[in-house]
Amino acid sequence: MIKLEFEHRQAGHCENGVTSNLLNYHQYKISEPMVFGIGAGLFFSYLPFMKMQHAPTTTFRVWPGMIFDRLTKELGIQTVILKFRDPRESMTKLNEVLDQGYPVGLQVGTYNLTFFPPEYRMHYNMHNMVVYGYDHETYFVSDTLMEKLVEISYEDLMRVRYAKGTFAPMGRMYYPTYVPKEINLKPAIINGIYKTANNMVGVPFFPLIGVKGIRYLARQMRKWEKKLGPEKASYYLGQVLRMEEEVGTAGAGFRFIYGAFLDEASRVLNQEWLKELSIEMGENANKWREFSYYGSRNCKKRGKADQSYDFLADMLMDCADREEKIFKKLAKIK
Amino acid sequence: MDTVKEEKTETGGEEQPYHYNRELFYSFDKEKGYSQRVDYMIPENQTIIRQQWDLVEERLKGIRYLVTSGKRSPIAWYMEKALMEIPMLAGYMEMSAWRIRWHITPMGFKQLKPRILEKYAALFGITVEALKHPDLENNLR
Repeated sequence: MIKLEFEHRQAGHCENGVTSNLLNYHQYKISEPMVFGIGAGLFFSYLPFMKMQHAPTTTFRVWPGMIFDRLTKELGIQTVILKFRDPRESMTKLNEVLDQGYPVGLQVGTYNLTFFPPEYRMHYNMHNMVVYGYDHETYFVSDTLMEKLVEISYEDLMRVRYAKGTFAPMGRMYYPTYVPKEINLKPAIINGIYKTANNMVGVPFFPLIGVKGIRYLARQMRKWEKKLGPEKASYYLGQVLRMEEEVGTAGAGFRFIYGAFLDEASRVLNQEWLKELSIEMGENANKWREFSYYGSRNCKKRGKADQSYDFLADMLMDCADREEKIFKKLAKIK
Repeated sequence: MDTVKEEKTETGGEEQPYHYNRELFYSFDKEKGYSQRVDYMIPENQTIIRQQWDLVEERLKGIRYLVTSGKRSPIAWYMEKALMEIPMLAGYMEMSAWRIRWHITPMGFKQLKPRILEKYAALFGITVEALKHPDLENNLR
């Protein structure tokens, strides 16, 4: 039996939380917003051609796994990232790594996750959690979404690690092995902000990414009711809101976390203007919350629109304008 | 449990089925700055989750009709019940999506070999007998 001394801390977003908790185990304290900012996790894209649960995908974050990769590269932390073809082999390797005394981050699908709240148990393959020990057939799990530490059986763990569908995890496991003693955060923060700003306002031509993506979504939204009928339109809207509020975003599609990061960055870098931008970002995040508040009313009435889609689209346009202003300023960071 | 009941009345007596796990949320206030709080899901978020499960139930109704009228095989029913789509089921079964499309027609289902039937049954967590004669009840879990 192996049970490592792992401190469980809840987090708004699973991958940030896992990364932050894993580094915390290696005696390196880093907050969740900091992980998110340096990993350049903020993003927006609207992909009408990629359907998820019968509605177009909207994403508010970068590809799964990218935050951990970018953060550890920026900070010079040595890591191991593995994928396996054979499920049994992946479980043996997991046991081996735990025996060596490293807690391991896993990418899993949520459908068969037994300890998960039932309402979340859709097929969603981008969830992350930490396994910090095992006892025969039982694995000890720290999941940042859950209040308490939880357990899962061998069979179930194998099943969730080999969930199929979009972004199939393929038994992906990752863990840091060595954290340098002296870490200089400043260049990492600047790089992170620069990358995010570039993703949001610097992508040329392609209209579905970043601020342009938000505007595109708003323009499409105006047509939804006419094109799809009231029921489907409200479901499409619901899908946007679920992506914005539900899938571990800590509210407003990560805008709160990013604002908190800018706040922290202004203190580390001693740049006062970042503080101002963090306030602007917070106000922008509150606007997104307002959007989801009004939007969720449309989803409730089942067909009858409470707020017109034009009104909601105007709110999105407003958010896009605010974000364009913020990220154009952030792109000039030195 | 008592505290949960109190919260229910606070939100105007609205139905709040999801109240057994508290999550971390961030918020921003102009005076206080950023803060974190651990709380249950707010009612608006519950609405949008509920909407998704409503759609699942509706789709199940449609599929039940198709299965009973002999236009789809029971595999279509179990696929929908497990919230899967054809490409995903193809991934789990390690087959091409076209073969799955053939299997969800009654004709293709009749010709299935026992080995493949067993594979389907194991995937859906049921017996082969239940796969052939499905219990078309609308209980999701």
